[in-house]
Amino acid sequence: MIINTTILSWVTFIYFGSATFYIFRMVTGKEFWGALASWSALAGLIAQTAGLILRWFESYKMGIGHAPLSNLYESLIFFAWTIVFLYLIVEWRIKSRNIGAFVIPFAFLSMAFASFSPNVNTRIQPLIPALQSNWLISHVITCFFGYAALAIACGLGFMYLLKGLEKEENSAPFLRFFPRREILDELTYHSVVIGFIFLTLGIITGSVWAYSAWGSYWSWDPKETWSLITWLIYAAMLHSRFLRGWKGKRMAIMSIIGFVSVLFTYFGVNYLPGLHSYF
Amino acid sequence: MLLSFLSSLKLTITLLIIIAALSILGTVIPQEYGAGESFTRMSPGLVKTFRSLQLLDLYHSVWFIILMCLLSLNLIACSLKRFPTSWKLFAVTPSLDRARPFKDLPPDNIVMIEGEQNETASRVEHLLMKRYKRFRSKDTDTATIFYGEKGPYSHFGVYIVHASILIIIAGTIIGSLWGFGGFVNLAEGESTDTVYVGRKKSLKKLDYAVRCDKFCITYYDNGMPKEYRSDLSFLENNAVIFQGPLLVNHPVTVKGIKFYQASYGTIPGGRAHMTITREKYKATTLTVNLKDSFYLKEDGAKVTIQRVEENFMSMGPAVLLSIHSSETNMQLWVFKDIEKMKHIIPNLLQKVPKFNPGLFKPYYFKLNSIAQTYYTGLQVSYDPGVSTVAIGAFFIVIGFFFTFFSSHKRLWVRVDELEGKTRIMVSAQSNKDPVGLEREREYLLRHFKKGP
Ligand code: HEM
Repeated sequence: MIINTTILSWVTFIYFGSATFYIFRMVTGKEFWGALASWSALAGLIAQTAGLILRWFESYKMGIGHAPLSNLYESLIFFAWTIVFLYLIVEWRIKSRNIGAFVIPFAFLSMAFASFSPNVNTRIQPLIPALQSNWLISHVITCFFGYAALAIACGLGFMYLLKGLEKEENSAPFLRFFPRREILDELTYHSVVIGFIFLTLGIITGSVWAYSAWGSYWSWDPKETWSLITWLIYAAMLHSRFLRGWKGKRMAIMSIIGFVSVLFTYFGVNYLPGLHSYF
Repeated sequence: MLLSFLSSLKLTITLLIIIAALSILGTVIPQEYGAGESFTRMSPGLVKTFRSLQLLDLYHSVWFIILMCLLSLNLIACSLKRFPTSWKLFAVTPSLDRARPFKDLPPDNIVMIEGEQNETASRVEHLLMKRYKRFRSKDTDTATIFYGEKGPYSHFGVYIVHASILIIIAGTIIGSLWGFGGFVNLAEGESTDTVYVGRKKSLKKLDYAVRCDKFCITYYDNGMPKEYRSDLSFLENNAVIFQGPLLVNHPVTVKGIKFYQASYGTIPGGRAHMTITREKYKATTLTVNLKDSFYLKEDGAKVTIQRVEENFMSMGPAVLLSIHSSETNMQLWVFKDIEKMKHIIPNLLQKVPKFNPGLFKPYYFKLNSIAQTYYTGLQVSYDPGVSTVAIGAFFIVIGFFFTFFSSHKRLWVRVDELEGKTRIMVSAQSNKDPVGLEREREYLLRHFKKGP
């Protein structure tokens, strides 16, 4: 096994630890676990960054140098990286560790899928001609920042719904530590806005790439179509804020539905009839 | 009635969701002009029903067009309805001596300081003028009132976003009305001025011809393709007007029409490089294609290339020659690896005389190599709507920044006297971004409090 994949599979365990600590913290309410969780997430992020840079170097040493963003394995790793990166910024900005238990598990799952699924090729491969494009790099980066922000929004949506279960008497004690629902709603909205902007940029850069590679900026390929579907769902969600009575619960549900659509855009599309799948 | 229906946000959300749902349907039902094979797997009855409902070409069906029209109308109606309000918020400064902004102010929006009223007022004015481009003040009998605002442009962000969507839709319409997308397969050496266009593959003649001079693939060490490359020449009235290589991700534009490297393939029957020797004469080397003929000068025999095989009977590359002369008619196989074959089967030439490269005396034929003839698959497209779509895409992003990252902050400050002290009241308003507004309010109050 090459060194970068070894590092990256260790990162998987670090994120697993971090996710577990976040959950401990949520259940027990003890900040000790929270600090452990945050620091291990940060350590994981640093190790992962190093792993990615190493992988980049290794590809140059092999004479086929390209950014580590070119196949399913590399995109899953990058997905986890963006989730943790964005999440830690959010945690630092809002000075609260509540969301971690609902977000870091996504990063862990993505890493675990990349590292342990037999269907995912971990080797560094050269770029086939269609993928030799700088637009593709900006496409992947913008898309995954978008996906990560929407993953965070989905985690917040879950928290909102759980918080709704809280009753005066006999409810799970950890719900008390959650932020108020208005705050969760506001945070969901901000995450969706960031996600929506990146998603738009992702679609635009993807179209530019398609235009230079395939001769048409839009050809209703399933992957393209699903990115549009996702985009429409979030556009509907942003507008629904302006309807009376549409704040809160329905927004939370839409942030979850929207993220299911994101996941389908990412993975599910390969099971549909289509011309080309990029990864 | 119709207008209020068309301008309602409920309609917007309904339309966005229906368009999303229809798009999902389009990825589930195999589309007629998309993936060919899965389409044919449906039962004929189902195909007929789907076709009559235009579900087999959903994204160009009347349903889709109606929805896009409705969405556009919705956007236009909604924008027209709301624009006057936004314009007022942008352009009109409220009259300053209204009491309302200062009614029921929470106590932390009020600071009382020692210090003379006029001096305080000029200090407040100084600070506000620095921070707010749009700034006004007014003196009343007892008080000085200041008004400042920031980011009034943020009201237009949404219009920029929505107008961009209309621009993008317009660009796609321009493209579909006046543009075309086609393809053509061109063998090396061939040229054409006609391409297949549209989903129905009708013929279209271009103003010039395109010729494929050469196609080649290079590979990485592990066998994955590294580069597909076609060397193309474009000819008008038999004169070359443009010549250059075409690579994936690097289209070539000639007279506004773009050519893309889309696919490639090989043509059955290749090209052979041969050497012919005759005792005591110099050898000649030549390249021949399938079905080519040539004459052997000395005795007028005609040689025709009957077959060109990559790997004939598992014995490697071979060509079949048929030779007509006044004396004889014969066929003979020329193998590239004949020496090796003779080595393995020592009496091969006695057993199968047809395999003897020296059978037609006094000539000796030698096959050096066989080259594949490739054809290149070119995507040919012309889309006059692209720049419009690009402009829309650019402005939608600009619009997002106005909508999401700027806000219209309005600030009223009133300086007057109360119980021997100077009183400063601050009232702040914003159309969004309550957090930023709070920060601004705190900043100002802190500075007002400091005193002279
Ligand atoms: C694909 C289509 C559309 C997209 C991408 C889009 C995008 C947006 C965005 C990004 C916002 C800002 C949302 C926010 O501040 O949270 C917005 C607001 C809004 N949109 Fe759209 N929009 C679309 C179609 C429409 C249509 C068809 C209408 C027609 C009624 C409409 C009406 C509005 C209204 C009324 C607002 C609120 C404006 C405000 O007061 O801030 N939108 N839209």
